[in-house]
Amino acid sequence: MRLRAKILSGFLILSAMLLVAGVWSIYELSTIGISVQKILDDNYRSVNAAKSMIEALEREDSGILLLLLGKREEGRTIIGSADESFRKAYETARSNITIPGEEEYVDEIMNTYDIYRNLWRQSVVGTAREGDLNWYLRDTHPAFLKAKLAAQRLMTLNDQTMYLTASNLESRAHRATMPGIIAVASAFIFAIIFSFLINLFVVNPIIKLTDGIQHYLDSGSPLEVRIETEDELSDLVSSVETLIARSKQ
Amino acid sequence: MRLHIILRYIGVVLLLNAAFLLISAAISFFNGDSALFPLGYTGLISALFGVFPFIFVPSTEEITNKEGFTIVVSSWLLSCLIGMIPYVLWGGEFTVTNAWFESVSGFTTTGSSILTDIEALPKGLLFWRSATHWIGGVGIIIFVLSVLSSMGKVGMVLYRAEMSPLATANFRFRTTRTLQIIMFVYVGLTVLETMALMLCGMNLFDAITHSFATIATGGFSTKNLSIAYYGSAAVETVIMVFMVLSGINFGLLFVTLLGNMRALLRSTVVRFYLAALFAGVALTAFNIHGTVFSGWLVSLRYAAFQVISIGTSTGFATTDTTLWPPFSQLLILFFTLQCACSGSTSGGIKIDRSVLLWHAIKKRITKVEHPHAVVKAKIDMVAIDEDTLEASLLYIILYIGIVFVSSLIICGMGVDIMTAFSASAATMGNVGPGFGLVGSTGNFNHIPEMGKWILTGDMLLGRLEIFGLLLFFLLKKWK
Repeated sequence: MRLRAKILSGFLILSAMLLVAGVWSIYELSTIGISVQKILDDNYRSVNAAKSMIEALEREDSGILLLLLGKREEGRTIIGSADESFRKAYETARSNITIPGEEEYVDEIMNTYDIYRNLWRQSVVGTAREGDLNWYLRDTHPAFLKAKLAAQRLMTLNDQTMYLTASNLESRAHRATMPGIIAVASAFIFAIIFSFLINLFVVNPIIKLTDGIQHYLDSGSPLEVRIETEDELSDLVSSVETLIARSKQ
Repeated sequence: MRLHIILRYIGVVLLLNAAFLLISAAISFFNGDSALFPLGYTGLISALFGVFPFIFVPSTEEITNKEGFTIVVSSWLLSCLIGMIPYVLWGGEFTVTNAWFESVSGFTTTGSSILTDIEALPKGLLFWRSATHWIGGVGIIIFVLSVLSSMGKVGMVLYRAEMSPLATANFRFRTTRTLQIIMFVYVGLTVLETMALMLCGMNLFDAITHSFATIATGGFSTKNLSIAYYGSAAVETVIMVFMVLSGINFGLLFVTLLGNMRALLRSTVVRFYLAALFAGVALTAFNIHGTVFSGWLVSLRYAAFQVISIGTSTGFATTDTTLWPPFSQLLILFFTLQCACSGSTSGGIKIDRSVLLWHAIKKRITKVEHPHAVVKAKIDMVAIDEDTLEASLLYIILYIGIVFVSSLIICGMGVDIMTAFSASAATMGNVGPGFGLVGSTGNFNHIPEMGKWILTGDMLLGRLEIFGLLLFFLLKKWK
């Protein structure tokens, strides 16, 4: 192989090492960005929705207690607005199913909520249920707890997934930084080998040739320079030898 | 010493590693797993480093012994270094120390692992892990020389530097022919075992990776429970048969394959090897029957697998031997030190040296009885020269000395004596599992960082048969 190609190949190899590592680091870093966005889109919205549902359920529970105390208007107003909030949050959770098995959790919320809702939709004020704490403790409170538990389970599922995704991000961050480190170390070692070979197969022959010519000029003895490789340097030596031979003629 | 010539031949080894890395990367690609870049990038670096010296350095007709020796040892060290890069790039449990440990353990066919959850690794990385066994099993240089059979005198020097002097005795062919035989037996056994395991119900991936680990007497499994995962007597039987075969000198196996069964049966070393395994299995089965397992058959099954696994320096497991009685544990520790025949992929002191030791003892007794008698130690009717005898005895002493010193250092790091000693013996013998905290179902993750570096030193010393590595660091003093 010619000297030009050899030197060029060295630089190409060095560039390839750094280029691939750089491209991969960029890819991993952009993936991290996408993953962060995905966490926000997929899980954080569901966690927020679950929190809103729990908050709405607690307000409905307070509303039921007001009904038990005979405060119909205040109770119904609180329950009505809480029901609306619950439904909005539920729709958000329903439209943001991203984890395998999440749909069953969402269905469970609606099933338990329907049971709870059917209980507080019945008339309380002015009926036998007014002031009946037994009815509250036996029927409505357990139904409330069940609906709340279903919402909490949805929140836990999304929390866990968020944690897992964040853990994966740590590995991805590792993968984004390591190629750079490996590439720099490899490039450093490669540069040493490259300069060693350049010194051995380019610089040394030039020195040998220079010394040979000087020796010829000083003593007139024949030029004796052996070049191991077949490239421009060996061509140069034979050209010098031809030149010397012609100058002698 | 011509550094550029050394670079050129190390380049070939790097190209071999690159080929396996790129195959592993292809597996990752088809599997869509996260090891694609770590394997692909390392493959690329390895290939570029391997190709570059070829561009600059012209080929040579001859190399000196010193150069050949440097090429061999450097190839092992560089392969281990390249082998750790995919692990480091992938991350997970792989810190720099852990990655180095796993890589050295792979190439030296030790099979000790730092992984607490092997199944969490992507398939590509699992394949690479097993491939390091397969490359290292037959010897990195032997692998290269058999692929590139046109190296002439250079090949001969490298072959002499790589092969154990004890192993060459059973190969009475020219270097090229010997290399062909080794590779024929090595690849043949791997293919046969893969097919047999598939017939037992294993999938192709598991069959190949476990065959790599068996024939190389490595011991890396793709499952956390090792072979116990399959719970199959058929799988265990197939693996046992191939472990025993892999522990026999490949030259003898080849001659047997050509129809000369008598050569195998008449070999003192092979008879000693088989007898030792048979006695080990029988004694262990007797000992664990009633104490660990209630049935005779089940005792025999587990005893046979564990004794053969350790006795061939493979290191697969079907049960937790740390729960076995002290007698069985000590018996297995004996096999950890001794292992199988030279000229195979096995590690340890090797049966050949045990036989030589036995003959040296016999010779000494005769000399005491008859002080003026001229006594020659003979194996298979061939007289053993004093040099071989002395070298073997020295090797055994040095081997045990190194195990003792590394046990002492690891004990000094707060590790219990059983764990420290068995870990040192298991890594020095390239066996894999030990006892205590590094038992057959355990791992080396909790060993202190410095301890892991010492154990990898043991692995390399064991694989390069001590003098190989020691001489490398004394190269300047060579005349």
